[in-house]
Amino acid sequence: MTTEVIKIKGADLQTEEMILNLGPQHPSTHGVLRVILKLDGEVIIAAEPEVGYLHRGTEKLAENRTYPQMLVISDRWDYLSAMSNNLVWCLAVEKLLQIKPPEKADHLRVIMVELNRIASHLVFFGTYGIDIGAYTPFLHAFREREKILDLFEEVSGARMTYNYIRIGGVMADLPADWVGKCRSFLEWMKDRFPEYDTLLTGNPIFQDRTKGIGVLSQAQAITYGVTGPNLRGSGINFDLRKDEPYCSYEKFKFDVPTGANGDCWDRYWVRIQEMKESVKIVEQALDGLPAGETNAKVPRILRPPMGETYAQIEAPRGSLGIYTISDANDKPYRVHVRAPSFINLTMLQEILVGQKVSDVVATLGSIDIVLGEVDR
Amino acid sequence: MIGYFTNIYKVSAALLEGMWVTFKWMFRPSMTVQYPHEKLTPPERFRGTLVFDKDSCTACNLCVKACPTACITLEPYVDPATNKRLAKINWYQIDFGKCNYCRLCEEACPTKPVKSVRHSHGYEWAMTDRKEMNVKWVRP
Amino acid sequence: MILPVWTIGQKRAAGVLSGVIAAAVGIALAVGELPVRIAQIWESVLGLAAKKAVPAIVMDIASMVIQCSVIIGFISVAVMFMVWWERKVSAHMQSRLGPMETGGWHGWAQTIADAIKLLLKEDIVPEHASPWVHFLAPVVTFVPAFLCYAALPFGDKTISVDLDVGILYIFAISGISVLGIIMAGWGGGNKYSMLGGLRAAAQSVSYEIPRVLSVVPILMIAGSMKLTAIAAYQSEPVSWLPFLPKWFIFYPFIGQVSFLIFLICSVAETNRTPFDIAEAESELVAGFHTEYSGMKFSFFFLAEYAFVFLSSGMTAALFLGGGSGPLLPSWFWFLIKTFAVVFLFLWFRWTFPRMRVDRLMEFCWKFLLPWSFVNILVTGAWLILR
Repeated sequence: MTTEVIKIKGADLQTEEMILNLGPQHPSTHGVLRVILKLDGEVIIAAEPEVGYLHRGTEKLAENRTYPQMLVISDRWDYLSAMSNNLVWCLAVEKLLQIKPPEKADHLRVIMVELNRIASHLVFFGTYGIDIGAYTPFLHAFREREKILDLFEEVSGARMTYNYIRIGGVMADLPADWVGKCRSFLEWMKDRFPEYDTLLTGNPIFQDRTKGIGVLSQAQAITYGVTGPNLRGSGINFDLRKDEPYCSYEKFKFDVPTGANGDCWDRYWVRIQEMKESVKIVEQALDGLPAGETNAKVPRILRPPMGETYAQIEAPRGSLGIYTISDANDKPYRVHVRAPSFINLTMLQEILVGQKVSDVVATLGSIDIVLGEVDR
Repeated sequence: MIGYFTNIYKVSAALLEGMWVTFKWMFRPSMTVQYPHEKLTPPERFRGTLVFDKDSCTACNLCVKACPTACITLEPYVDPATNKRLAKINWYQIDFGKCNYCRLCEEACPTKPVKSVRHSHGYEWAMTDRKEMNVKWVRP
Repeated sequence: MILPVWTIGQKRAAGVLSGVIAAAVGIALAVGELPVRIAQIWESVLGLAAKKAVPAIVMDIASMVIQCSVIIGFISVAVMFMVWWERKVSAHMQSRLGPMETGGWHGWAQTIADAIKLLLKEDIVPEHASPWVHFLAPVVTFVPAFLCYAALPFGDKTISVDLDVGILYIFAISGISVLGIIMAGWGGGNKYSMLGGLRAAAQSVSYEIPRVLSVVPILMIAGSMKLTAIAAYQSEPVSWLPFLPKWFIFYPFIGQVSFLIFLICSVAETNRTPFDIAEAESELVAGFHTEYSGMKFSFFFLAEYAFVFLSSGMTAALFLGGGSGPLLPSWFWFLIKTFAVVFLFLWFRWTFPRMRVDRLMEFCWKFLLPWSFVNILVTGAWLILR
């Protein structure tokens, strides 16, 4: 996309490109991301995301932490869905130790992770509304998220860094009356979806801003290794909960929503549908909650046998993977985190080209990154 | 032509529906808590500020080992007469600037029935100086 | 459907609110028509002046100064109230309460505190800014906002200058403030401000056209450009529908189309959501006023709200019959109608997302403009065939 250079007789008029720094201090980069935009008027001709402003070196930190201690660090990757981070770490270590958590622990894990998926997508819904310019959906979404956080607070004692899912099970059983509270929240949540649909999903201005913007084709999505709702928005039906079930996900009935065009609207729509599916999963898990132990027998000091492992789950932002090497010590030899936000972010440089400045925010918002996870 | 007008109708209907939602919520009570005037009670398992019971502690060092950020330090009590380590602490220090509020120390603590180091329900705590974050308990 | 319950405090607040409204109505009834009161007071002042043999020119100047300061004072108070009201309305739409602390009852003094804070803040001029342009931009934006109020009728005869071309004057003067926005965008030396200023220029100039054209049917029917005359024309009841007042909004088709176009264009002119692309917070940080702080920023802020109030006042005068209404004095009716339209502005802002720049232009040129022409045609046909 280049503007035509207008030739006036006797004078050569030339247009100049403008370089615009979007971030690290910008209201809608969702943290400290910097995107260097090359603009021709309001049209983008090149975009380069720069990451690393929030780098905390958690992969290196892991080499100095014991396996249970690393859980505390894992809360801080994707702070909007800390339960998923806990879960993937536990799954990796359990794979190394060859422990099988009891059935009840599996159910509790599914409940927590799915509730957290709703909370995380609610943040997406709200912040995306702000990116597009509607402020009210943000606070409506946070009102509902607050209820989920209250539930988490009751069960784990914290609102963001839960440290609830532990190696071999969970921290503790559900408190008394928690199931009832959770059910009443689900009922409340089901009433809110139609409101969300009228406020944002069905709003013609919103549809106008998102449809046909930031199109990610299927081939591009696979080339960039994009996962999660972004991939499903492009129309590829890939969900680790279905394709490689963990934590007894094969027991639950749910649909995997997919989009058609891979534009911002599809990515948004997939997330809204996923929230509805998550409500279904939590309901099924609450219905079939088995009795029994919540923890498997785990030695006090964990020294997994020599070996390496890769565990992955479907986090709200894509497939979150952990690669660990154990040297039979109580601390991991090496940890690598496959952070979905980071990998999804790479597609930005390609899909932004040719769009307008106001679409940058819409596109960036629809990828739904968490900078804590991008930079780790 | 008909499409044009149905489009106008649909768009305005959708916009009005959205306005109706915000209008409805305007007359519903707020969900917020006016914090300093009213306070919520934290749940049973709430991980608030750590409290330490300096008399029951056995100086076993398990909490120090469990802490992921190494914010706990302690010195066991040494009897000056026999020069032997006793199951008591001399001093115990938590650096709240580093504390993660993760409950790993409380879970590691072996004292019964009440853990020596445990989370309270306190969440209102402010320091004006970084040094104040180092909270030290000394046994007389 | 599980809904939260009203607490006693909230019920009490609602009670206080209805009490405040009742008190306002009582005061309005006690004061009565403003021009009458003002004439009484002014006559006594003139009598005093005649006793002391003050020259007439001094009294003329004094009269002008008093009128100016009354308008400026009124606008400042109205803006402060609107800011507080916007916070409250938005908060209640979002299940919050908004400011609750400052001043005691529901944070009524919050805006006053904010204004004081803004006035006391350091005035920062960026290194790359062009100092004079940067300094003049808020003034150029802010002064027209106040000038416009000279020709706005606050009810029957409550107008400082009853111009024959009142509407034209207001449109012309309010158009100047776009210049200030462009100056702010360019003078800040910031790329975001620059983009914001350019967007504002394109938007304001485009939306000015359908906005003016949407008023044309009214001018055709009322046969005058005098705002007081238009308001007076609407105060008689309609001949064919006795219980309806003859407000322009009740004219079938013509009135509604004009009203909607005027309202939409007013929202666009005042740079508010869904047309706030000039200061699009999530895209351009703060748009044209990114580089402004303290007092200069508060000038932009004041100008924006002054224009919102002006647009609402014009809507009330043009479409809602100005000060016409039963029982209460006309200025009070005018304020009620104006604030009802202001509420519409707030309601739009807190419900809708922002439009995209190109769509905004399309909407103006391809939708609003043709429809305003159609409207003029229909009005002309109606006037001929009547």
